[in-house]
Amino acid sequence: MKRIFALTLSALLLCTPFSACVKPAEEGGSAAQSVTLTIWHDKEDAVAAALQSELDKLQPEIRVVLEKKNGLTEALKMVGNDPKAAPDLYFFAHDKLGVYAEMGILTPITEFVDADTLAQFLPMTLSAATYKGELYQLPIYFETLLFMYNRANMREDQVPATTEQLYAYMEEVTGGGHYGFLEQHSNAYYSAGWIHGFGGELINADGVPQLNTEQTIRALEYHLRFARLMTGESEYATVNTLFKEGRAAATIGGPWLIPTVREAGIDLGLAPMPIVDETGLPLAPYSGVQGLHVLKVAAENPAKHEAIKAVLHQLCNTDIGVAMAAASGCAPAFAACYELDEVKNDEMVMMMHALAQSAVPMPNIPEMDVMWNVVGNMLVDINMRKVNVREAADKAQKQAENLIAAMK
Amino acid sequence: MKGKRRTLSAWFSQAPVLLIIALIVVFPIGYTAYISLTNMNVYHWFDFQIIGLGNYLKALAVFDSGFLGALLITLLWTAVNMVLQLVIAFIMASLLNIQKLKARRVYKTVLMFPWAMPGYVSILLWKNGIFNSSFGLLNQWLEKLHLAPMRWLAGDVSAFIACLVVNLWLALPFMIMIMDGALQSVDKSYYENAILDGAGWFTRSVRLTIPAIRPIIAPAVVITLFTTFKQFDVIYLLTQQVGAKTGANIHTVLTYAYENAFVTNNYGYSSAISMIIFFFLIAFVTLSNLKRKEKKA
Repeated sequence: MKRIFALTLSALLLCTPFSACVKPAEEGGSAAQSVTLTIWHDKEDAVAAALQSELDKLQPEIRVVLEKKNGLTEALKMVGNDPKAAPDLYFFAHDKLGVYAEMGILTPITEFVDADTLAQFLPMTLSAATYKGELYQLPIYFETLLFMYNRANMREDQVPATTEQLYAYMEEVTGGGHYGFLEQHSNAYYSAGWIHGFGGELINADGVPQLNTEQTIRALEYHLRFARLMTGESEYATVNTLFKEGRAAATIGGPWLIPTVREAGIDLGLAPMPIVDETGLPLAPYSGVQGLHVLKVAAENPAKHEAIKAVLHQLCNTDIGVAMAAASGCAPAFAACYELDEVKNDEMVMMMHALAQSAVPMPNIPEMDVMWNVVGNMLVDINMRKVNVREAADKAQKQAENLIAAMK
Repeated sequence: MKGKRRTLSAWFSQAPVLLIIALIVVFPIGYTAYISLTNMNVYHWFDFQIIGLGNYLKALAVFDSGFLGALLITLLWTAVNMVLQLVIAFIMASLLNIQKLKARRVYKTVLMFPWAMPGYVSILLWKNGIFNSSFGLLNQWLEKLHLAPMRWLAGDVSAFIACLVVNLWLALPFMIMIMDGALQSVDKSYYENAILDGAGWFTRSVRLTIPAIRPIIAPAVVITLFTTFKQFDVIYLLTQQVGAKTGANIHTVLTYAYENAFVTNNYGYSSAISMIIFFFLIAFVTLSNLKRKEKKA
């Protein structure tokens, strides 16, 4: 009896893993009248709520389910072409769309939205969302780094208009655990602004690294002077904590930093990016454009095609832009939003709008994936390990070329 | 006939466990080996094909002087960690087994605490709370002593020691628990005889305790050897995390392979490197087991 019981249990345990192989039940509800679309995202609650609220206006014909997904980028790689597991759309930054376009899991937005409607978006956001001549994202909002200062430490007349003024200020006040200016000096995302200010770039549109060009090397040499007057550690927590504690007079940070800075009681001021004296160009940080992407498996489903079109059109107006700006200080991609008082009165959003003229969209080519680490190592070599700039740039260029070759 | 039936029944009873092992251990290894023979990358994500040993040839480029340096650091890392873990765990477990020790359970619970915390959280707490040059506890102590602050994670040697300390903090609870269990299994009458013969603590430990617990702790040592050799998160999160690099240039084989292969999104190529490291690890452990058996013989 005991043996039979044991063998039965074993048989049942053996069957357990196969229970997942059961054919899923057909979705209930009246499919003819109502279509459900799933959107994956990784955004904060306020942003997701604003989007959900706007898309709920399409009910009852179209029901949109927003699903917060941790590890969204990796999950899409795994299931992006599986109609049973993939979402219909996803809401994410533009910089990964080249990877997904090459994988063949995306459909161009132009299949659903006409050119006249798209012309109403900021040109920078459309250019960010274009890969190999195709537009793969409907931009909703964008973010870029801002020059922030603590009014308690830096008077209005001390706010630097140029990088040399900034350097002079740093030399004057840095010391005793206090800093004139701090940034994540050895992080590729933050240092890119300095490189762009010298006319350089990390990688060109053809996917060729540009780390040892004369412009980039000049920028790195120039930036090193500033890095020497900053903290040894250059990671997010240290830099931002020092700014929030009032030990750093100014910083370059993202809009996501602002709520916690204000909570910490800092009298925050925003200013345009300083202009590089040598080139006459402003520091031009990267911008990230957040928006909706359509999965090919959903676009090819005739039952969902019109619903996707309706969802995208619902977001081609000022409502969602204004809601996003109010919810989380996001800078709308829809140009007409900036004519409305609700947006015009938001200092941070308007500053980002002004920066949109000079900000450089993060490259969306797949080759960019390997650049973050390579450039990070190069910056560490230069700013922390005192390696000769040209030597470090040459080494990084070679490593980037090897990694890009290894991608294929 | 009866024997055959009994064997079949035994296999059938073990089948669920074997199936789980096959699914979570054997299948991933087999699938990685298969992918390593294909051209699966961003440009051939769903339409990949078998291309033979091309990825292995390409992978040899990663095994350059940088890899050799990482390999030496990994061996040093493994050896130092293992020695320290075994010595400290043995001492701690011995102290926990002192007769008439009060509040033994409290100490045991406290010692297990690092194990209960998620590794990621522990590592970042150490990084920001202890080693950070602006806010860290160590530099606050230095400041009180009127000494200049140090950048603990910037130099290669100091960063290696910092990583070692954090890894010991994370790994010791497991080893202490195993040692503690093993010590309790040793027959107390042996000690009584040894004490009567005039053996002190050190002699008892070397001649009696260690030989007695060796077979019990051997599996734990092998597991820890594997875990330490393929260590990634402690060194990566403390010193190499993208956007939070500290200036130290210490790499284990895995952090080196990650920076020089895994970031390429070329799964065929990365799988080939994983397989080579896997075989290397198997060879390393087999060799150390053989040496142990030789010593035993």
